[in-house]
Amino acid sequence: MIRNDLSNKKPITILEKIEESLEKLNDKIEVMIEIQKNNNGNGNSQRASLSLPDASLDVMTLLSMPDHLRKTAMTICRCERATADQVADQTKRARAVESAYLNQLVIMGYLKKERKGRKAFFFIEKETQS
Amino acid sequence: MSKIIAVHSYKGGTGKTLLSVNLAATLAKEGKKVCIFDLDFRAPSLFAILKAPTADFWLNDYLNNTCEINKTLLDLSSRIPGQGKFYSCLANPSTEAIRDMSSKDRKWEMRALGRLLALRETLIKDKGFDYLFFDTSPGLQYSSINAIVAADYVVVATTGDRSDVDGTKRMLQELYNLFEKKTGLVLNKVLDSSMTAKKTEMQNKIKADYQVPMLGIVPCFCEILRAEGNLIFVQDKPDHPFTKIMTEMARRVENDEVV
Repeated sequence: MIRNDLSNKKPITILEKIEESLEKLNDKIEVMIEIQKNNNGNGNSQRASLSLPDASLDVMTLLSMPDHLRKTAMTICRCERATADQVADQTKRARAVESAYLNQLVIMGYLKKERKGRKAFFFIEKETQS
Repeated sequence: MSKIIAVHSYKGGTGKTLLSVNLAATLAKEGKKVCIFDLDFRAPSLFAILKAPTADFWLNDYLNNTCEINKTLLDLSSRIPGQGKFYSCLANPSTEAIRDMSSKDRKWEMRALGRLLALRETLIKDKGFDYLFFDTSPGLQYSSINAIVAADYVVVATTGDRSDVDGTKRMLQELYNLFEKKTGLVLNKVLDSSMTAKKTEMQNKIKADYQVPMLGIVPCFCEILRAEGNLIFVQDKPDHPFTKIMTEMARRVENDEVV
């Protein structure tokens, strides 16, 4: 099926599709690694917070977050909507690291994620933000 | 460079409003476009100190998303000499409004933080304001922490009172440091005699105690107490030593300097 879909396309388009799929895969692996790391460190508390749907990203929540996530969350608060690249620019940390933290904040219910073409944007849900 | 400055303290009565109003007025006197916000929703006081005309819209309305920020701004520039601009955005002092603000939930506070963060775009970038001053309520109130998160610089007012010193130290470690905020400490209401005798020694001790940069030391002036909150001191008493201290502090805030 995929082979049929790609058969009429130019090689460059096929390569772009592959790159996009690899990026998605990479994001998922980063999230799994990050969750694994935090589960090892925090045990049940982390697992409990993972189940929060649409949690509020208010200042008290920010205060209670681990330092590495707080920095990422505050950057999104300031920018409202940003890619992992844009967050990494501000925090001066690696894009892959920010991608993992952002995805973790999505899983925890604090952020939403939306894909536009090859870019993934992270934001605080509009209904709850303004 | 434009800045949002939050003035905060652990305890009440440390002189936050006095510092906010007079630092803002000093910068306006020097030709800057400045706005002071009353974020002390539980005990609003700016409307009385500034003797502002009755407002149609309050900061409460902006945070409630029922009006835009420009409707809440009062132009008080005529009260300040020079070409600068001095605006205020006041908290509604009515009992009903205070009660309403005390009952807000976490979702509302999160939206309020978004509205405060948006001021950088609407007032600094679009309207050309140089400085926004957030006069906050003491302690760990939601509105104060929102103001600290939205600010670039936090002026921390403290006194020599033991409970204030301990609380301020804790707050510096557990609040400002966590949010990675630039902080300047102001030791207020210092007895004049001890200050003149041992100013440098006192500065060094405070720096060692609090582990943060000092913005300045303000002696306890009887004239300020006698004024009973009726004066924008730097405007009404241009030659008073307090005015000179405010001018020095305003310069430090502008240039990111410390003592």
